[in-house]
Amino acid sequence: MLKYTLQRILYMLLVFFIITFMCFVLIRMLPPVPLPPGDPHTIVVEVRREALGYNKPYLVQFGIFLRNLFTSFDWGVSEKLYLGQDVLTIFLQKLPATMIVNAFAVVISIPLGVALGVFAALKRNTWIDYTISTLTMVVISVPSFVYAFVIQYLLCYKLGWFPFLMKAGTDWFSPSMIWSMMPAVFSLSFAVIASFTRTTRAELTEVLTSEFMLLARTKGLTKGQATVRHALRNCFVVVIPAIFGEFIGILAGSLIIEKIFSIPGVGGLTINAINAQDYPIFMLSTCFYTAIGLASALVIDISYGFIDPRIRMGSKK
Amino acid sequence: MKKLLALLLAAALVLSMAACAKPQGTDDTTAPSDSGTETTQGAEAGKYTYTDSVVSLATNWNPHSYQTNDDAYPQNYIASGLYSFVFNDEHHPVEGFEPFTTYAVIPEMAAEEPVDVTEEIKASHPEFGIPESATSGFAYTIKLNPNATFDDGTPIKAVDYVESMKRLLDPRLLNYRAADYFGSADLSIVGAEQYYYSLTQTLYEKLAYADAEALMAEGKDVYIDVYAFWNASSEYTDAEGNALPQYVSVNDETVYGENMDDAFSGKMLITDYASYFADGSNPLYQALNNDNYNEDYASTYDSLVGCFASDEYEITLVLEKSLSGFYLLYALSSNWLVKTDLYDSCIKETEGVWSCNYNTSLETTCSYGPYKMSSYQADKAMHFVKNDAWYGWTDGQHVYTDPTDGKEYTMYQTTEIDTQKVTEAGTNKMMFLKGQLMTYGLQAEDMATYRNSEYCYSSPADTIFFLILNGHKESIGKREKDASFDQATTDLESMTLQSFRKAIAVSYDRELFAATVSPARSGAYAIIGNTYIYDPASGATYRETDAAKQVLCDFYGVDTSKYADLDAAVDSITGYDPELAKELFAEAFKEALEAGYVTDKDGDGICDQTVTIEYCMSEDSDFMTKTIDYLNEKMNEATEGTPYAGKIQFVKSAPYGNDWSNKIREGMSDTVLAGWTGARMNPFGLTDLYVNPSRAYDAKWFNPNQHELTINIDGKDLTMNLTEWSDALNGVVVNVDGVDYNFGDGQVDVETRVQILAAFEGTILGTYDYLPMLQDGSMFLLTQKAYYVVDDYNGLLERGGIQYLKYNYDDAEWASYVKEQGGELKY
Repeated sequence: MLKYTLQRILYMLLVFFIITFMCFVLIRMLPPVPLPPGDPHTIVVEVRREALGYNKPYLVQFGIFLRNLFTSFDWGVSEKLYLGQDVLTIFLQKLPATMIVNAFAVVISIPLGVALGVFAALKRNTWIDYTISTLTMVVISVPSFVYAFVIQYLLCYKLGWFPFLMKAGTDWFSPSMIWSMMPAVFSLSFAVIASFTRTTRAELTEVLTSEFMLLARTKGLTKGQATVRHALRNCFVVVIPAIFGEFIGILAGSLIIEKIFSIPGVGGLTINAINAQDYPIFMLSTCFYTAIGLASALVIDISYGFIDPRIRMGSKK
Repeated sequence: MKKLLALLLAAALVLSMAACAKPQGTDDTTAPSDSGTETTQGAEAGKYTYTDSVVSLATNWNPHSYQTNDDAYPQNYIASGLYSFVFNDEHHPVEGFEPFTTYAVIPEMAAEEPVDVTEEIKASHPEFGIPESATSGFAYTIKLNPNATFDDGTPIKAVDYVESMKRLLDPRLLNYRAADYFGSADLSIVGAEQYYYSLTQTLYEKLAYADAEALMAEGKDVYIDVYAFWNASSEYTDAEGNALPQYVSVNDETVYGENMDDAFSGKMLITDYASYFADGSNPLYQALNNDNYNEDYASTYDSLVGCFASDEYEITLVLEKSLSGFYLLYALSSNWLVKTDLYDSCIKETEGVWSCNYNTSLETTCSYGPYKMSSYQADKAMHFVKNDAWYGWTDGQHVYTDPTDGKEYTMYQTTEIDTQKVTEAGTNKMMFLKGQLMTYGLQAEDMATYRNSEYCYSSPADTIFFLILNGHKESIGKREKDASFDQATTDLESMTLQSFRKAIAVSYDRELFAATVSPARSGAYAIIGNTYIYDPASGATYRETDAAKQVLCDFYGVDTSKYADLDAAVDSITGYDPELAKELFAEAFKEALEAGYVTDKDGDGICDQTVTIEYCMSEDSDFMTKTIDYLNEKMNEATEGTPYAGKIQFVKSAPYGNDWSNKIREGMSDTVLAGWTGARMNPFGLTDLYVNPSRAYDAKWFNPNQHELTINIDGKDLTMNLTEWSDALNGVVVNVDGVDYNFGDGQVDVETRVQILAAFEGTILGTYDYLPMLQDGSMFLLTQKAYYVVDDYNGLLERGGIQYLKYNYDDAEWASYVKEQGGELKY
């Protein structure tokens, strides 16, 4: 297991390096955003690009990027969006808002999603199951920003229960801040709830029809006892890694939801950085998302081994 | 495992409950917020909060480096110019004008009006090179307001201005805004450009390929970045072992990398790969002057730059080109001042690249305006409160008499400004209707509901959007020869015919077009919009002049004798003449047949080809769809019964992004709605946009140097080409038949300048390269919480802005009022 994990980490680093290199070169190959013809600042911009080394060969630029990264963990300063400001600081300032909103969404969604999935599985092939399954499909099919607009209109505008936007400030756990996050949290939650409902229902339905469940019942366990002690444990082999994945995925944020509810998070940062060709911000965001994606895949894979002792990761036997 | 799961579940449930718990102290209609946008929480009596929203929140409001209007937003509150403009009233009377009908200039950070010291500086500072013949307009001393301080109470003295200018022009920082003080800038300070570039060894400017050819023809050197284009490096050497430089002249025949597979020379690249440069994706560079390199730059400021302290509270500005009167004061209504000790602490150097994060956060911001920043969260919100250290609260200048009640009030009744980032128009609207925002910009779908509201205001904007029509015959010819182009079914060349272009021009009802695609805007008939003020002294707009009206009547063929006056004649113009359009299309078809552009093989009198006009999009949008649908629908109506019936089609291009303007200029795409915004107080400067090849959209097919225009000046016909007229109108001395002419500001009476501008405008209209379609404008709702002292729009001051905003309710009263209205306001 340890060898497998180390091997996977090495592969992960290799993939990370390749993706980073590709993104670095591709974004720098984009022609710079032209200023209007005759704009007196054109020369200023060009001279500054020259000074920043953007006219050097890409490999040389990448070498400088790596050197700064490894020697001083310096991701550079923003050249467009946040002129002159340290991009790592900007990124870290924006991360909490994204994480907290998404964390709330996951924390609310998982128990509800699992509970609904269990309920649907236990009532399989009844109208309750059909209703939950149909609603699940509908909810999964509709993008989260649609809920966002509906929630904003109904709960914020018509009923006036919540503010339209997330509150300004960094008091992330104050009641008023949490209250202001709720419309965004609800918007994000629907899809997660539906996803967990579907996964749990599918897994549990399969487990409940297994022969060992019949054995458990014949041993004298009640339906509830058999479900909790045997069926749920088995179905969680699939559900738990998904939970890990969701928790890691909360870092990624949601561009549209952040826009609608004015959440100062990382979701829009990458898109804005690409549009503005703010290379340092783009590279930091890209590296971050790449690392998150690779790490979550690794954690999910390894978690199977911990959750179910029968699974031996990397074993050749 | 079971325990772990149980713990996880428990934690999740606790957090869920905490999240769903309603905070204490809130009622059903509001939510707690520190942002000041809620209507009942934290509302205080005697507090007047201006709640604003922006789509993009400022991230860098450093006056030396901001790049966008969004970033300039905080400057409106935290900075003041040396001079400012206010409405005329009994406190600021202007002879011959009723109160609130024009503007007055007041010294703001300055103590009095600038004093012209051209003669004195010419004698005492010959190093600044003021022309011998100049007697005024090149140097000024400005006494500074001794009461002006930064928000921490530090007095602002002359040395602060000089040191700020030194930092603005710092050759290491290469500040973006430095270019506003040299070169083509109105306030062009002597030596500023030289100092700014004193550490820049080589300057490069991107060039379009055709321009490169032109420059090469003139003997100038053009370079290729071979590291980027050829993926070469310094490992490439010439026959003598010299390393390859990054930039290689296109005239250089030296072969680099002979021992490699891909040896090349600059000459070979430009010859063999010309097409790779033609589309602009591989830029060419022109070597500019680089004689200023000076490592000891810091010591040269004093002897080089014409901005110095002549007393503790007096600065002297020496200008590269003369500037006086209104335009000088207007240029000095913005400011380059920074708090230098704070600024210096924000400077950072990495790898020889310098940057400064002054005015990018609360900690790095310093105010010397009526407000100061009290909180800032990037991409979220910013908050301003009154700056108690501002001199304006007590100087007696910042007062006005309300024309409604006749009482005297202090400007800036607003006590706090709360600005939030709100990107969705729908959210903006809901917040506005809930009383949480002060204004709401109307969208197309709101027009029917709100355009007649008493709270609805209309504001014209400067830009005229015209349809630019492709006339680049060479480029069109190349496109038609492309293998994928089917000449049997499609034609592009017809659109280069003047009759065809005229026909298109009269096929569209401009007002209907505006009402259909963009209701806040209106129809346009001219090249110069109706906001441009030709006479700053009176505030009169160019479009109101007889010359400007007459040129429109002439162009659109209006017989002025049939109308009571010129105004009535101009009002009759719609730009739409379907009968004439049909005649012109028939004429164009004949010409196209004769020229072989189109065919009529079956002899049915209908063109065999469809003239396909590509609409050049930067990106697709609903507006684009509406525009193209309208153009096609009305074109089908206009061509009905003509040989082009159903044979002219506007089609969307691929989204070209920022490259759209190059596509139009190169004739690679055929039409687009685009426009220029110039200095509102100087319509004469707009002429350069149509003769300067680096700006004009039609530079590749219309040569203003070969287009002569004769104007009767003081009873004498004077003929010059368009470029010469433009130059002369903007202060350049032009010699014609041995006589010098200069029609710049102050050189001739303003009526003569207007006459020239009108004739110039008529000529440009006559090219049919630019078909005016939309006059830009916007409409917005103003909250019931406040009102503008002046309802009428003023070209310079608009409606007075936050200075003249008066409140009907303070925050507490407003909260109660909104609640009384059921939480939703009717407009």
